[in-house]
Amino acid sequence: MADAPTQIPVTVLTGYLGAGKTTLLNRVLTENHGKKYAVIVNEFGEIGIDNDLVVGADEEVFEMNNGCICCTVRGDLIRIIGGLIKRKDKFDAILVETTGLADPAPVAQTFFTDDDVKKRTRLDSIVTVVDAKHVGLRLEDADEAEEQIAFADVILLNKTDLVSKEELARIEDRIKTINPFAKVHHTVRSNIALDKILDRGSFDLNRIIGLDPDFLEGGHDHHHHHHDHANPLHDEEIRSLSVMLDKPVDAAKFSDWISGLLMAEGQNILRSKGILNMDKSDQRYVFQAVHMVSEGSFTGPWPAKDKRKSRLVFIGRKLNEKSLREGFAACAA
Amino acid sequence: MAEKGEAAGKRRAKVVTRKYDAYVVAAHANGRLFGVGFGDGAVRLVDSENIDADPTTIAAHDGAVLSLAPDINPGFFLSGGDDGKVMRSGPPSVSELIAEEKGRWIDHVTAHAESGTRVYSVGKEATILGKKGTRKLKHPTAVGGLAINPKGKRLAVSHYNGVSLWWLGTEGSATVLEWKGSHLNLAWSPDGDYVISIMQENSLHGWRLSDNEHMRMTGYGAKVRSMAFTKRGHFLATGGADAIICWPFTGGGPMGRAPLEFGYAGGAPVTAVASNPKHDVLAAGFEDGTVLIGQPGPATPALIVMGENKAAVTAMAWNPDGDRLLAGCEDGTLHVADFRL
Repeated sequence: MADAPTQIPVTVLTGYLGAGKTTLLNRVLTENHGKKYAVIVNEFGEIGIDNDLVVGADEEVFEMNNGCICCTVRGDLIRIIGGLIKRKDKFDAILVETTGLADPAPVAQTFFTDDDVKKRTRLDSIVTVVDAKHVGLRLEDADEAEEQIAFADVILLNKTDLVSKEELARIEDRIKTINPFAKVHHTVRSNIALDKILDRGSFDLNRIIGLDPDFLEGGHDHHHHHHDHANPLHDEEIRSLSVMLDKPVDAAKFSDWISGLLMAEGQNILRSKGILNMDKSDQRYVFQAVHMVSEGSFTGPWPAKDKRKSRLVFIGRKLNEKSLREGFAACAA
Repeated sequence: MAEKGEAAGKRRAKVVTRKYDAYVVAAHANGRLFGVGFGDGAVRLVDSENIDADPTTIAAHDGAVLSLAPDINPGFFLSGGDDGKVMRSGPPSVSELIAEEKGRWIDHVTAHAESGTRVYSVGKEATILGKKGTRKLKHPTAVGGLAINPKGKRLAVSHYNGVSLWWLGTEGSATVLEWKGSHLNLAWSPDGDYVISIMQENSLHGWRLSDNEHMRMTGYGAKVRSMAFTKRGHFLATGGADAIICWPFTGGGPMGRAPLEFGYAGGAPVTAVASNPKHDVLAAGFEDGTVLIGQPGPATPALIVMGENKAAVTAMAWNPDGDRLLAGCEDGTLHVADFRL
């Protein structure tokens, strides 16, 4: 009897040009961590460093479903992971480096889309390296920089030695406005204990909630008092919103509502995640989506001490708070 | 250790099952030998005349075999690996380096015996190793599949947003058959008029070259993974559903027609199909390890191997006489069935 195949955790490493991604990658490759990684990097020949395997990728993004731009995936990742899972010598984890200008969505969507990739791997977390000195400017002029923060589960706020304390607080505040749910670490030269970024299970909500009970409690109304330069948030900027429901949720109503919502607004909603108390189950239902591509499953019993309430968060542009709140409220059983 | 068993169902067969510790990536027959490529880099040769004999193991690659095809001479196989090597393996234990692309993966290989042509691909580039020399063909994105037409004159190369058709004998640019999306495995119909691609999104796309007609074949619940034309080209059999899907290619092709479905085996999707070279008979392997054979039509197919191991069938091949069948699984299980009873 063959066991169900184990799912290899995948960490996606993003960050704008010069943020310190390569430094971090080199640390993973050279540090004596006793694990075997397959590292998928851009335009790089396949070479083994110690125990690890480095594979070059081409970042080939294509549109599924005859050109739906919300269903873009990385074909090269499907191909490479398809090859890696055939190897006899297995890996403890896979690390995917993206280029500085990459939108993280196609990478994340790949892990929701392809049957083989879904069966053999799981997206562990998206780690974004942010250059504390230059991120302010980047956020003004590059959508990708903002999206990389929005998609992150873990953020390395790097080069903190190059900015003042006040500046750092302001930057962190700006990051929290975009994505209050990511764990932020302050680093210099990408120096961080690797267990803070690898095999975290960050994409898995259960784990995050276990670590930080306030996760998902954070909201759009995060204070902005450090914004001393007059630049009010406008609709094109990414922000986050969380909605809550004390009553149990009707599974069919929720499914209809969320699929309709993501169909209509999936281009603006970058990520959504939630934990739901479905009316006919004792299990926690965990939902997550990247743009229009979503998945949900019952993941285990509610911890006894937990209040069984349903929480859903959205990160995106042009979020209509009233309609999201009302829509979710209408899913009550 | 080999295990022998008697197959269930109507058709009697002797089945020998072996287990290896590596993923079965691809399998083909060439002459009396079956060649099987594994995730441990080995190409194993199985003698169809003596299925009890231990297969010959040839350590062809340092990493995993990524693709395998029958080579030019009977009994020989061409393989591409993630060690950047294109290898030729054959009896008694020949292992010969054909080409090498250091630090790259050889994603696909194919060969055509009569024209003496070998082709392999690395990323966006396909390389033809022909009688007249070596030719490198560039494509806009990574190559998803390679197939030489039955006459050995044209090479089809799939990539994003279409398929490029190259003439093997003459220099010149490709004719591009366009269709949006990611195109993977390719097949030519036996008459050479149709080119079919398996797409990433649970569908097939086809082109009829004589009149540039397009055809979309959709409705699959899973990845199609595998396809094969029946012997005379009447049907294109595919995986991707809980029964074998057979698209009719007689009387004007599959456009606007429903496919024939047969060979349901409990609900698991078909992951590999192989067409018998002598008769209009198909073999199908399922995600739950079941293997069955049958004729396209409503008759119940004969179940020949019940996959006790429950691992997905990843590769299948018939011998040229069509009376022996090999099936390999992702957990390294290898069945060989002999129907000469």
